[in-house]
Amino acid sequence: MYSSDDYNEGGYESYGDYEPHTGDPQYDLEYDRSYYQMPEMVKKFLVYFRNMITEGMTFEILNLYENTFPKLTEQYFENTPWPDEKEVAPVVDSDHVFMILYKELYFRDIYARVPGGPKPEQRFLSFYNYCDLFNYILSAETPVPLELPDQWLWELIDEFVYQFQSFAQYRSRTSKLSQAEIEALNSENKAWDVLCILNVLHSLVDKSNIKKQLEVYAAGGDPDSVAGEFGRHSLYKMLGYFSLVGLLRLHSLLGDYYQAIKVLENIELHKKSQYSHVPACQISTSYYVGFAYMMMRRYADAIRTLSSALLYMQRTKQLFSSRSYQNDQINKQTEQMYHLLAICLVLHPQCVDESIQQVLREKNYHEKMFKMQYGDLGEFESCFTFACPKFLSPCPPPIEPGSNYGRDAVKHQTQVFMDELDFYIDNDMIHIADTKVAHRYGDFFIRKLLKFEELNRKLHHIKI
Amino acid sequence: MAETMRQTVATILKSIERYNPANLQTLERYVEMQSRENTYDLEANLAVLKLYQFNPENFNPDITCQILLKALTNFPHTDFTLCKCLLLESVVENETISQIKYLADILEQCDFAQFWNRVHQMPELCNRISSFHDSIRKFVCHVVGITFQTIDKSNLANLLGGIDDVSLKHWVKKYGWKDEGNLIFIATQDENIKTKNITEKIEFEHLAPLMAIL
Repeated sequence: MYSSDDYNEGGYESYGDYEPHTGDPQYDLEYDRSYYQMPEMVKKFLVYFRNMITEGMTFEILNLYENTFPKLTEQYFENTPWPDEKEVAPVVDSDHVFMILYKELYFRDIYARVPGGPKPEQRFLSFYNYCDLFNYILSAETPVPLELPDQWLWELIDEFVYQFQSFAQYRSRTSKLSQAEIEALNSENKAWDVLCILNVLHSLVDKSNIKKQLEVYAAGGDPDSVAGEFGRHSLYKMLGYFSLVGLLRLHSLLGDYYQAIKVLENIELHKKSQYSHVPACQISTSYYVGFAYMMMRRYADAIRTLSSALLYMQRTKQLFSSRSYQNDQINKQTEQMYHLLAICLVLHPQCVDESIQQVLREKNYHEKMFKMQYGDLGEFESCFTFACPKFLSPCPPPIEPGSNYGRDAVKHQTQVFMDELDFYIDNDMIHIADTKVAHRYGDFFIRKLLKFEELNRKLHHIKI
Repeated sequence: MAETMRQTVATILKSIERYNPANLQTLERYVEMQSRENTYDLEANLAVLKLYQFNPENFNPDITCQILLKALTNFPHTDFTLCKCLLLESVVENETISQIKYLADILEQCDFAQFWNRVHQMPELCNRISSFHDSIRKFVCHVVGITFQTIDKSNLANLLGGIDDVSLKHWVKKYGWKDEGNLIFIATQDENIKTKNITEKIEFEHLAPLMAIL
């Protein structure tokens, strides 16, 4: 019986004679074709991985997913993708579900690591693989016998929306695309359509009854009482919940802030709940909610959301997984959230938690806020463009070389935001200036008073 | 009839049907009904703009204008901003739409004199929205109510779009203001405009999650 310990206790060493790739793509390609043999270690891993999934050992699956897979990637596939499905299928008896899950990881790995990003065909294949996965889950008459760790389920939904976003951006960089790429893109017009994405997310939400579940949960009841046959299963329940967050993100990318916020009704962001144990999901939710509130001009709400999320992150930093690509993402999002908070606090001055204030006083936020307080519109714009999500145009025109419509979406949302500022700075000057000045003078006054008091005391001590 | 329409639309909006262009006609008729009957449904209107966003070939500038004007009638809520975010970059160039955007700007800046001036220059547009003027007047009254202690009678009449004495009396009465000859007494603002003392309150609920982490 094969156990996971083999990986952890020097199991790699014994395969030291495995010949690594040369780094020369041409040579490697030929090598791959004629001599490629899957390392024994990888074979064993795949078999074991599949068994664990079949048996529904979520804890062990999480370990394999979160630790072993990246380790093996580093060890065997540093400069290449994981083995093609044709090579993997015989190893795992062509297990249908396992193959879909494997391909999900395979493509995700390509998106994350291959320089220059995936090729058009790979983007399409990845899309159709997601279709297979969601069809399997959604079209079943009874809940499918599949259990995956929540961490994976979250990353699955998050990645699905990410790949859509990545496709839209890739497609919009028309000037950089080759003729062959443009032809490939134009010949395939169904993949990564925004309606497909919406459809999948909505279907997952509906199938799981997650909205009703959350409503009952918020009212103190038992969500299982309304969950239905599917929604009681962890797989459906959590996919439904994460799809809500996926919709939040998708709506935000399209500038629909009303729907973005509405989709989350009945979710209590700042409370611990049975749904809130995936940190990356929590952070992402807060970021998009905070952003949507800001765009809706609900600054107080935005500040509350952002500062409590940032506080949570300050306090739980050590808990985050050490996988570096995820940390990069979290760090970037943290920085974006501080920028959003800085903008909101300039427009709507108020007290926030001291440890957050501390960060805003340090670093370069202080200078940025100072500039914004003095109405430097350029500073507003640069903070906004740094902190905003990468907006998308939902309806790309047919591709013609030279056009560059992708940036328009960002420009448009930035413009809407900048329009907002005009009013606050130019025309409602009294309101803002008043709050700020009072604040500063208050501080100043108290400091002077303290100094004066100290002086007074010293004077008393001086004996003449 | 209106109620059935509202129900139909509500059902559409609840599901994935909200993205189905086949429903656009129903939703557009619903917008026209709102203009005619002085009702308002922001969510339905946003769904229309969303369908235009996804299907630019179906874009209808006339309906879009009505939606934007209806959004103006709901000031000081930020409906107009929400609508603006959904407009396609390309339609922002539309002449009438830019005019309405300008209206929103000056209305937001409370430059009411200028606003009425503009509105009177485009009667055919604004008159399509039933009770458009009165809805705006409500917003004006809201602003006046939080800004003035007393206000000159003729000034108020101007802010409300140059209305006659009878209408002015109606608005004064509606908001419970007092007619004092040349001045209208609005409210004692002293009581509202006070230095706020913001003190930090720490409740157990806020500390509990912290304690769990520590």
